[in-house]
Amino acid sequence: MNPFWDYLNAIWNILRKDLQVEWRGKQGVPVMLVFALLVVFLFNFALQLSPDLQAGLAAGLLWVSLAFASTLGLNRSVSLEQENKAMDGLLMAPVDRSAIFFGKFLSNFSFTFLVGLVLLPVFSLFYQQNMFKSMLVLVIILGLGAYTSLGTLLAALSIQTRTRDVLLPVLLYPLALPILIAAVEASRSILAGQPISDYQSWMTFLLACNILFTAAGLMFFETILEE
Amino acid sequence: MVNNLNIMSANPEKSSGQIVVKNLLKRYHTKPVLNQLSINIDAGALCILVGDNGVGKTTLLRILAGLVHPDSGEIAIGNSGSSREPQDRRMIGYLGHQSMLYQDLNAIENLTHYARLYRLPQANMIISELIQSVGLEKSQHQMVRTYSRGMQQRLSIARSLLHDPEVLLLDEPYTGLDKQGAQFLDKRLQSLHQQGKTIFLAAHRPHRLLSFASHVAWLIDGMIAEYSPVQDIPRHANLAAYLQESA
Repeated sequence: MNPFWDYLNAIWNILRKDLQVEWRGKQGVPVMLVFALLVVFLFNFALQLSPDLQAGLAAGLLWVSLAFASTLGLNRSVSLEQENKAMDGLLMAPVDRSAIFFGKFLSNFSFTFLVGLVLLPVFSLFYQQNMFKSMLVLVIILGLGAYTSLGTLLAALSIQTRTRDVLLPVLLYPLALPILIAAVEASRSILAGQPISDYQSWMTFLLACNILFTAAGLMFFETILEE
Repeated sequence: MVNNLNIMSANPEKSSGQIVVKNLLKRYHTKPVLNQLSINIDAGALCILVGDNGVGKTTLLRILAGLVHPDSGEIAIGNSGSSREPQDRRMIGYLGHQSMLYQDLNAIENLTHYARLYRLPQANMIISELIQSVGLEKSQHQMVRTYSRGMQQRLSIARSLLHDPEVLLLDEPYTGLDKQGAQFLDKRLQSLHQQGKTIFLAAHRPHRLLSFASHVAWLIDGMIAEYSPVQDIPRHANLAAYLQESA
């Protein structure tokens, strides 16, 4: 057996299992989606902003909705493995334990990205913005990649604690603030039709966060999960 | 964090399922749960681990399974000498207090998930046989969420046996089983023992196992107080009295 293929196989199987559990239970994505839509509706009706201001706020609200929805998904992802101590079953598997990180990261990312794709037309409708821009989708991919990789690491950290539902957002939001600022700034520039040179540095920062937190997952995930 | 954990080097002469533990120390906060614990379980033994609640039975089994990191000490399981290397985990089957099953998947899907992680060839056939052997063929397509505690325990036993491990670490495996389930487990353990598998099993009520187990280890305050072949129990008055009390 080739260890590299075993590793990829483990990542794929963890992702496939999460997709299968989600398809059966439907306890993650629908809740995330409803929550994200509620945030959009509440801000839209509560603030009663003029069209000009709405356009300026769209990027910020998009990322607030995605961040909240993603945190719900991360909590669900943790509780899925904590229920019946299924995480022990993954830890017993004959594969490097960083594969668990990548499998869980990919499933968390997939679910949040799906929510993001549904949110785009909703934002177009409520905030009179053309959200269907390829660069905006790229920012969403980079932003969510960084956010969910950091979130997956912190979710693993909180899995041993009794207060994990509270602990995860308390740890995640402050640490993810630079990611959210970069994602909002890049999204705002794209929606304003600015040239790529204006927001390239934010994109580079998001890419660097992806590399940093993925490398951190590779190196520290096993240590984080150790009792 | 690890201070002084030595993983003993591979010994090609050792039998494949031997468990050797030397001076194992594990503290939770500052309280030692396992206190310089040493034990040597021969390959092919069926050893019952007995002891009162909270003496460290579960901690010991979880350390051997590679799920908990000890503070110091030496552990060797089988030829490769470590339960911490990914491929070495293949030789260990672990049954804990909780089932490690996904509630929104059925029995087949749960076992298939684990079979894929272990990259088992002919997984479908193995899964089918195991489900039949634990008596869950009628409910194999039901979500685990709908299973009783006993049914989940049966499926959990099947999960721990799925990859045909050389060493079985079982923590209170009779929990939740009805009479029929317990009889099945008795037979299965005897069969695995006859096949030469090493079985290390924590049991609060060990009496039903004494007729076919090979050894008994008595854990007191994080240390092995007595370790004896079953036929020699009468020579260990304290252990014999303890087993009598827990019957």
